[in-house]
Amino acid sequence: MAMSEHDKIRELLALAAADALTSAEEKQVAEHVRSCIACSNELGAWRPIASELRRFPTPQPSSWLVQATLARAEAKLTEQAEHDWNRRVLIVVVAFAWLLTIASWPVFQVVSGRFGGLLGPQFSRAWISFAVFTALGWLAGGVAAVMLAVRRRGERRLA
Amino acid sequence: MAVDADVVRLRRGDLKALSELVARYQNRLYRYLLRMVRQPAEAEDLFQQTWLRVVEKIRSFDASRNFDAWLFTLARNLAIDHLRRMRPQSLDEPLGNSWHSETAADRIPCKDDTPLDHALAAERRTEISEAMAGLPMMYREVLTLRFEDEMKIEEIAQVTAVPVSTVKSRLRRSLEQLRYALEAR
Repeated sequence: MAMSEHDKIRELLALAAADALTSAEEKQVAEHVRSCIACSNELGAWRPIASELRRFPTPQPSSWLVQATLARAEAKLTEQAEHDWNRRVLIVVVAFAWLLTIASWPVFQVVSGRFGGLLGPQFSRAWISFAVFTALGWLAGGVAAVMLAVRRRGERRLA
Repeated sequence: MAVDADVVRLRRGDLKALSELVARYQNRLYRYLLRMVRQPAEAEDLFQQTWLRVVEKIRSFDASRNFDAWLFTLARNLAIDHLRRMRPQSLDEPLGNSWHSETAADRIPCKDDTPLDHALAAERRTEISEAMAGLPMMYREVLTLRFEDEMKIEEIAQVTAVPVSTVKSRLRRSLEQLRYALEAR
């Protein structure tokens, strides 16, 4: 059975007290309530409940809780910043290592062409060049690791 | 929607912005969590966890969106996970004890009221708070978001991740159950 206009409006009355109707629904309710005493009384019964709910006192967190939360959140933020910095350094180091690797071939050709005659036959020129550039890569990585360790130790000391 | 300057600063790692956001939202967030879990110790723990989660996730938050809804969604997810883990039955069933904790400020009478008016109002408020504490979690939640936080229905829908029609239906049912509980007293 289809709902009557009265029943439909009655379902909206609690929401009307909660100010949760669309403007069209509000208009509909206002018009109906003007001519229907039962719905007008019903709306009148909802309003004090809604009004009391709006006036509930707000429980407040203790200042200890707020301070402890801030301290933990700030520590987390600092940790994240440090993590980001480390990641950026790592990206730079990796990029540098790639650059060295890519640059190694033309440099290797120059070195082998210019100094090849000075080296004894027991040494492979290619091996020497490769060893030099690998060592440079490792050196860059090592310097970055030491820098990170020094920085972290300094920050821990400050904390 | 205006972009919240504190949120933008927090995304850049500004510690002062974090203190300002905590100061701005602390009462609303704590109240919401307390209404959800009803136990102050649990609400306090979730309050801390929520802010830690904010710090963790702030970079993935789109600053042009509604920060309130995002913050309450984080808090809600943590509260629901907590309830699911600790007291799964509490997600559906009412609990007897009251979550309403009166503060010193609540006990200061309004100068326009007589002592009798004040006593009656306080009694009525206690009745309503006890009746509300007896409602299922999703009904307490919608009542606190609508009446105490004064969120719009659309915002509540965002926080609770349900359609607007579902929020309205929950709101209506929660009010009906609350009224029924009050009349049964």
